[in-house]
Amino acid sequence: MASFGRFIRLAVGACAFLLVIAASAPCNAQQVNPTASSVKEQQLLQELNRIQGRVSIPDQRSGVLEQPAGRDWREFRNVTLRWIGGIAILGIIAVMVIFYLTRGMVRLESGRSGRTIVRFTAFERFVHWMTATCFIVLAISGLNITFGRPLLLPLIGFEAFSEWSQWAKYAHIYLSFPFTIGVVLIFLMWIAGNIPNKVDVDWLKRGGGIVGHDHPPAYRFNAGQKAIYWIVVLGGGAVAVTGYALMFPFYLSGIEGMQLAQVVHSIVAVLFIAAMLAHIYIGTVGMEGAFEAMGTGEVDLNWAREHHSLWIEEEQAKGQAPSGGTPKAMPAE
Amino acid sequence: MKAFVAALLFAAIVAVGVSILLNTIQQPSSVAFTTDGVRVGDPGHNLIGPG
Repeated sequence: MASFGRFIRLAVGACAFLLVIAASAPCNAQQVNPTASSVKEQQLLQELNRIQGRVSIPDQRSGVLEQPAGRDWREFRNVTLRWIGGIAILGIIAVMVIFYLTRGMVRLESGRSGRTIVRFTAFERFVHWMTATCFIVLAISGLNITFGRPLLLPLIGFEAFSEWSQWAKYAHIYLSFPFTIGVVLIFLMWIAGNIPNKVDVDWLKRGGGIVGHDHPPAYRFNAGQKAIYWIVVLGGGAVAVTGYALMFPFYLSGIEGMQLAQVVHSIVAVLFIAAMLAHIYIGTVGMEGAFEAMGTGEVDLNWAREHHSLWIEEEQAKGQAPSGGTPKAMPAE
Repeated sequence: MKAFVAALLFAAIVAVGVSILLNTIQQPSSVAFTTDGVRVGDPGHNLIGPG
């Protein structure tokens, strides 16, 4: 009887022990991962598209901890943009080198006449050079933002790169204002001569005098110059608007809008730089006599006849250009 | 050449003028976001702090 009692006590004890073990198992599982049922980062991002909380400072926008679109933007800024910019700028330089080696400088075929005509007034040249010099500084300082870290930093070191980047940032910000003034003045000053017309179609079909040795007629601005004009006006307008959206953060849009503004700003800017490299090429080493138009403001009469025959006819009709017989031919150099 | 020099001078004058104007109407973040209850530390002289 006594042994039966011990057996019962042992059996009850074993059952109680098993019960305790069984009951404690879920507790052990919870201790292994106590946050298993809590909201995950990815779930929050899917539901809210951002993770944000509350902050005690007045600027509540600082409460945004994670904004996934920022990762896409960073990928664009660090990878995609560098490819676009590199291909656009190195590509146009390669095209210019090949073109110069095959075509060479576009020469004045009839030589210099020794007589000149005013092509651009002092005010026009003032506006052009103000916009151009600002653009060059903006281009170099802007390229530093995209390419400076991988290309320049390893060459000059952190100290020099930091100092240079800080001054480049100031130049980029403050010279944008005279640049914008220049773009507006260029738009107003030359709009009348830059409306596309039928002459431009014929000019383009005949290679514009660049491809081959033809000299298709053109008014004061040919189709190529009109293209540059509209690139400056539209491209300059785009980089100005998007640039000011970045310069004055949160005045015009939120963070997503500013990321979009940076994407537009940077893509337009690198294409703008590529187009201006082509403009600089044709205005200097690409065409004989072209630089004088913006250098002294006067061009040789034969240059005007070869490249802007309809313009010279208009000027002669107004009595503002020498008219009459064939001018004296002079050596090209 | 005169037009070129005048262009450089004008651009510089506008840039300096704008920098003075913006520095007058804008406050550093350490000042703008400081309240009676919260003091934001001066970030110092770096890319985000006062030049």
